Amino acid sequence: MKYVDEFRDAELGRALAGEILSLVEPGRHYKVMEVCGGHTHSIYKYGVDDLLPANVELVHGPGCPVCVVPMGRVDDGIALAHGEGVIFTCFGDMMRVPGSDGSLLDAKADGADVRMVYSPLDALRIAKQNPDREVVFFAIGFETTAPSTALTLKRARAEGVENFSCMCSHVTIVPPLRALLESPDLRLDGFIGPGHVSTIVGARPFEFIPADYGKPVAIAGFEPLDILQAILIILRQLAQGRCEVENQYKRVVPYEGNLRALEVMAEVFELRPHFEWRGLGFISHSGLRISPTYAEFDAERRFSVPGVRVADPKACQCGEVLKGVIKPWECKVFGTACTPERPIGTCMVSSEGACAAYYNYGRFAREREVV
Amino acid sequence: MTDNPMVCGTDHCITCGDDADPMTVLALDSVRGLALCVAEDGRRMSVETALVEPLEVGDVVLVHAGAAIARGAAA
Repeated sequence: MKYVDEFRDAELGRALAGEILSLVEPGRHYKVMEVCGGHTHSIYKYGVDDLLPANVELVHGPGCPVCVVPMGRVDDGIALAHGEGVIFTCFGDMMRVPGSDGSLLDAKADGADVRMVYSPLDALRIAKQNPDREVVFFAIGFETTAPSTALTLKRARAEGVENFSCMCSHVTIVPPLRALLESPDLRLDGFIGPGHVSTIVGARPFEFIPADYGKPVAIAGFEPLDILQAILIILRQLAQGRCEVENQYKRVVPYEGNLRALEVMAEVFELRPHFEWRGLGFISHSGLRISPTYAEFDAERRFSVPGVRVADPKACQCGEVLKGVIKPWECKVFGTACTPERPIGTCMVSSEGACAAYYNYGRFAREREVV
Repeated sequence: MTDNPMVCGTDHCITCGDDADPMTVLALDSVRGLALCVAEDGRRMSVETALVEPLEVGDVVLVHAGAAIARGAAA
């Protein structure tokens, strides 16, 4: 398949690995964070890390949209799902995220009408097919997903659909990155920037990372050679004493992003003053809510939402995993009490979660072997 | 959870994973701003086109959560 096969070429991969090796200073330890959960998944699916020198460490960032949803938010969703006449819709992985007393899948087993959808457009379709029911869409995701929700709310208004609303839990990527960069327990040398978020927001929002913190950023695609090339870009900048935002994923990401998507997001959403992230706590201006001009589609205004705040389970170390402070297998419950079948923490739920990626690709309890 | 690759399965949730799927436009409904698109493996779905218009039949778009977020990869 075009644009896929050439980015999985083993020969080119080995050549890139050789170039990376030639740039690495012996005795120096490099920590590179891949921001996006999609990158984490690709790295372990294709064994990209096995091609890297032992002193280049990949740190998994907070860019899995499911993993950062706090427990209280899941409880709020479950409370809504149990509402009279409600059809509660959400994406597949979100159904398995544990709240304080079970997941949305458990709520479905208990009789709540919870349905999995592939897109907000599907949720709107369900609303049109069930005019006597209230259909709530649990909107999660970064800037990649938020425009789709915004377009659907505009469509709902244009088509006069009144029984549709949205519990908005969309988040933005820049504030948690800034929070991570301010974190004293994490020393990073560079970032692999999120490819599809950047399709929407462009490369410009990441310029603060080299400007304010002196770290290189390489926005990358999701094929193995994309990721290797991004690591090469970062190491080359470090070797040359440069730091800037480079766009490895130019075949998809325009530097300015998708202006129409940014416009529709600005029309439908506004920034929350604070939003709670799993493991990272409250981060200012990091979450989106529905703007007053679209208030009639805001499930949090339409229904009584408990707004509970629940502490993460004590045994779970998702917060440290999300911050890259520990490796998944260093968590006390990894692979024993917490597995993809029975997750305790969100990082084990989605295949983009670092724990699930480690578990599914056999990285149970060992350091990477030197190649 | 499901065998239908169009929706999220236990192995991989395309939507949650911030993935974007390359799809080809089969038909356009320009009045409603929708396109019928087909993926490489034959899956079909209705897609919001507002972010990448104008489109023509045969164009390749990257689809995420039911919205085309970018045009197909340029060489």
